[in-house]
Amino acid sequence: MELVYSETRERREVAELSDGELALRARGGDMVAFESLVVRKTPAVVSVARRIVGDGEDAKDVAQLVFLRVWQQLARYDEKYSFNTWLYRIATNLSIDFLRSSRSRERAHGATLHLVRLREEETFARTTIALEDGELARIFQTVASRLTGKQKAVFVLKEMEDCDTKEIARILNCGESTVRNHLFNARRILRREIARICPGLTDRRRP
Amino acid sequence: MTVRCDELSRRLPDYLEDALPAEDVRSFRDHLSSCDACRNEVAVAEPSLLFARARPEEVSSEDVARVLAGVRTAIALRETEAKLGAARSRRRRRLAAMASAAVVAAMTLVLPGSGRRSADSVTAAAPAVPVAEPGFSPAAQHEPSGTFPADTTIYDWNPGAESPELRVVWIVDRSLDI
Repeated sequence: MELVYSETRERREVAELSDGELALRARGGDMVAFESLVVRKTPAVVSVARRIVGDGEDAKDVAQLVFLRVWQQLARYDEKYSFNTWLYRIATNLSIDFLRSSRSRERAHGATLHLVRLREEETFARTTIALEDGELARIFQTVASRLTGKQKAVFVLKEMEDCDTKEIARILNCGESTVRNHLFNARRILRREIARICPGLTDRRRP
Repeated sequence: MTVRCDELSRRLPDYLEDALPAEDVRSFRDHLSSCDACRNEVAVAEPSLLFARARPEEVSSEDVARVLAGVRTAIALRETEAKLGAARSRRRRRLAAMASAAVVAAMTLVLPGSGRRSADSVTAAAPAVPVAEPGFSPAAQHEPSGTFPADTTIYDWNPGAESPELRVVWIVDRSLDI
């Protein structure tokens, strides 16, 4: 007897397709292809969202919104361009929106959060350059809280996700000079905040 | 191409000015992530580059499964909403057609010369009671029973026995709203 349909076999087949091919299949209504794309791209989307929104749980919520938006807008995906760029554009825009709304919620609880932040900054003041990756990520979220959403997104994409300026311009739908301006301002603000909050990070003397 | 320690500090200004070719940028970063001495040196000149070495936190397979489950639910919800919306607009179109039929019937009765038509033909043009048809049943037809909390709403999308589409019953527990 011939096996007419096997989901396992279909999943194995789509696993070998490129991102763009999966997107085209998903656009034609192939849910197996779409779900393979979600599974394949979730780590990258959660990673970039976490660095922009600053929290792992929030990043997973943003990732769900990203893939829902991808599913809704697949008809508008132009296969001439890289699927990754298109995906990063959606992920970055939604992360910036999320950051903006969470900052306005934070302002509503200003006094309490100010105290928490002061306590954190006291801890960071004793931090030296020999710190763990997890601690570095926490410090980044504190010093980067002074950046605008766009500045933070540009810094994250450029220095942490290894995107080049041209690709960032495509992701953020702006000019390369705008990307360079955002990056320049982001570095200036981060320098100032590092010097203020954790001067030990740039101390030449090893601990 | 690999970068030596003495080259790294020489290339730093170009890196910051975004003037290095892509391949040199990669080797600059590779060196930075593997050489403690250079990283400390660069941190003094440009502290923000310290964060360039921060590796992303692991995304577990449970996290991926959670995201996928959330996306599946959201898509199912959107599709059901779309079906309910389509059913509502079909019902509105049907009501509008019935209303126009009623208006035509009324005009036939009132307009001069219309008296020649028989009463039977008028009744046939404007049915008084809508015929039960497949479609969307609002919540009012499904009072929540003791099985569900008091503020539960039950929607029933019934495409009819002739339709190949599946019947969807959608139970919304408002107490779970977030």
